[in-house]
Amino acid sequence: MDPEDIKFHKEHTWAKVSGKKATIGITDYAQESLGDIVYIELPETDIEVTANTELTEIESTKATSTVIAPVSGLVIEINEKLADSPELINEDPYGKGWIAVIKMDNPAEIDDLMDAEEYEAYVEEESK
Amino acid sequence: MRLLIIGSGPGGYVAAIRAAQLGASVTIVENNEVGGTCLNWGCIPTKTLSASAEVLQKARRLAEYGIECTGDIRPNLAKIMERKNKVVSTQVKGIRSLFKYRRINLVEGRGRLLAPGRVEIEKRDGTKEVVEADKIIIATGSRPARIPAFPFDGEAILSSTDALNLGVLPKSLIIIGAGVVGCEFACIFAEFGVEITMLEMLNRAVSTEDHEISELLERELKKKKIKLMTSVKVEKVERMPDGVRIVLEGGKELTGEKLLVSIGRHYNTEDIGLEALGIQKGERGEIQVDTKMETNVKGVYAIGDVVGGMLLAHVASHEGIVAASNACGVERSMDYSVVPAAIFTSPEIGSVGLREHDAQTRGLKIRTGHFQFRSLGKAHAMGEIAGIIKVIAEDDTDKVLGVHIIGPHASDLAHEGALAIKAGLTAKEVGGMIHAHPTLSEGLMEAAEDVHGMAIHAVNQ
Repeated sequence: MDPEDIKFHKEHTWAKVSGKKATIGITDYAQESLGDIVYIELPETDIEVTANTELTEIESTKATSTVIAPVSGLVIEINEKLADSPELINEDPYGKGWIAVIKMDNPAEIDDLMDAEEYEAYVEEESK
Repeated sequence: MRLLIIGSGPGGYVAAIRAAQLGASVTIVENNEVGGTCLNWGCIPTKTLSASAEVLQKARRLAEYGIECTGDIRPNLAKIMERKNKVVSTQVKGIRSLFKYRRINLVEGRGRLLAPGRVEIEKRDGTKEVVEADKIIIATGSRPARIPAFPFDGEAILSSTDALNLGVLPKSLIIIGAGVVGCEFACIFAEFGVEITMLEMLNRAVSTEDHEISELLERELKKKKIKLMTSVKVEKVERMPDGVRIVLEGGKELTGEKLLVSIGRHYNTEDIGLEALGIQKGERGEIQVDTKMETNVKGVYAIGDVVGGMLLAHVASHEGIVAASNACGVERSMDYSVVPAAIFTSPEIGSVGLREHDAQTRGLKIRTGHFQFRSLGKAHAMGEIAGIIKVIAEDDTDKVLGVHIIGPHASDLAHEGALAIKAGLTAKEVGGMIHAHPTLSEGLMEAAEDVHGMAIHAVNQ
């Protein structure tokens, strides 16, 4: 079950909003499909990202894939712990496995994201 | 036929042996050590150090492989260098004994052309001797290029040769130039625990490689915590009491204990008598030759780094074979259409043929196929999953034009691609051939299949 207070992007990333800031990461479904994560290229702080475009890349033992930004804005914080412990994403994708904090340009973008229930249905549909 | 060769690197010594095989009476002059740069200050010592780095890396991962180890694991530079010197001296002896076996006359000293067919040899004891020869091959090679503003001092400002003879590991090393040599040293010394910063004027590391390969290498460098700064220009280098200080264009400063300058190589064309014979040089100072490796002076050939182009040991050797054959009356032309190349970074790089950005500049229509090492069972068994294999095929004929690999054993794997290009095989033919399981070679088969979107073990494309 996915947490209630966060929003989901169809490319399997999430955003948890607090004021103008959004903490983002990849979803439980994404980490599950990727398998053991061995490396994440940490984005730099102070760069502008655009929603629906590549934020960074992630490598698991199975695949390398892109992490798509769920919202636009300035990266103000990154989870440095992932540099040495990328497995935190597997262990706790919505908690200790967060990737970055983005100061949003356009908080209205949040409305384009899915809630937990919608995302669950979406994943179910996609994995059929 | 009396043949005289100046320089006994991978060009000169191979030419000597081939000429002897073809019946020539061969004299080879060496001013430094038999085997040249490749054997003494290049390929072989670097690869020996990188083998130590690789073992160290594996040793640090013992637990992953289920091996328990209670002691400390750390590099001992003195012993690593000792091993390197032993490998080099064994190989040097090997060449010397090949010379004996082929009755090749090795003269140690500096060779200087006096006139067509006449070469002066200045021996180590200062005495001079003039040797007459019917044909001459110049194989004097190259040396690390230096920028006048910051000359090598062997202490804090190092050339690649100095770096191969370091006595103590520095805490930090700044490397100017993220080409092949810079990246190889960065990987080796990072594994030994040295903090590395690389400065590159161009916008990418190993810029001569296919861009996807250099991008992947850059990520692997990052994983090793090697700091790479691209598109930067070094303005000033200063010796400090405890190292070097570097000022970049724009004013940014950095300091390090040592500096390695790897910005290219300089042709050894000085003081060898080129002027006495009027041998023509090109724009960059390289000796100009035709496809038979002959200079504008009949009977005088030149091979290896000193003729420019691709400064690779195996190219030099091949040029040596071509020059020696022609000198001995067996006509041969040099063909550079298929030249595989290897870079011993970690993971290593093996490549041959057309790169994707070349195709664009040359207006060729191509298709590409990719395959990730992490999709191979063998890669997982080995515990080496990082890397990709990329196959480039011509759009209408499907002929393989390029193969670019970064990953375990890439330098060996690239040769299947080289053979495919040489034989004019199509991607379908390469992908359609049975490859043994479980091997890394399956990756090339899959990448070739992927040219047509038919790789079996690919999911994310």
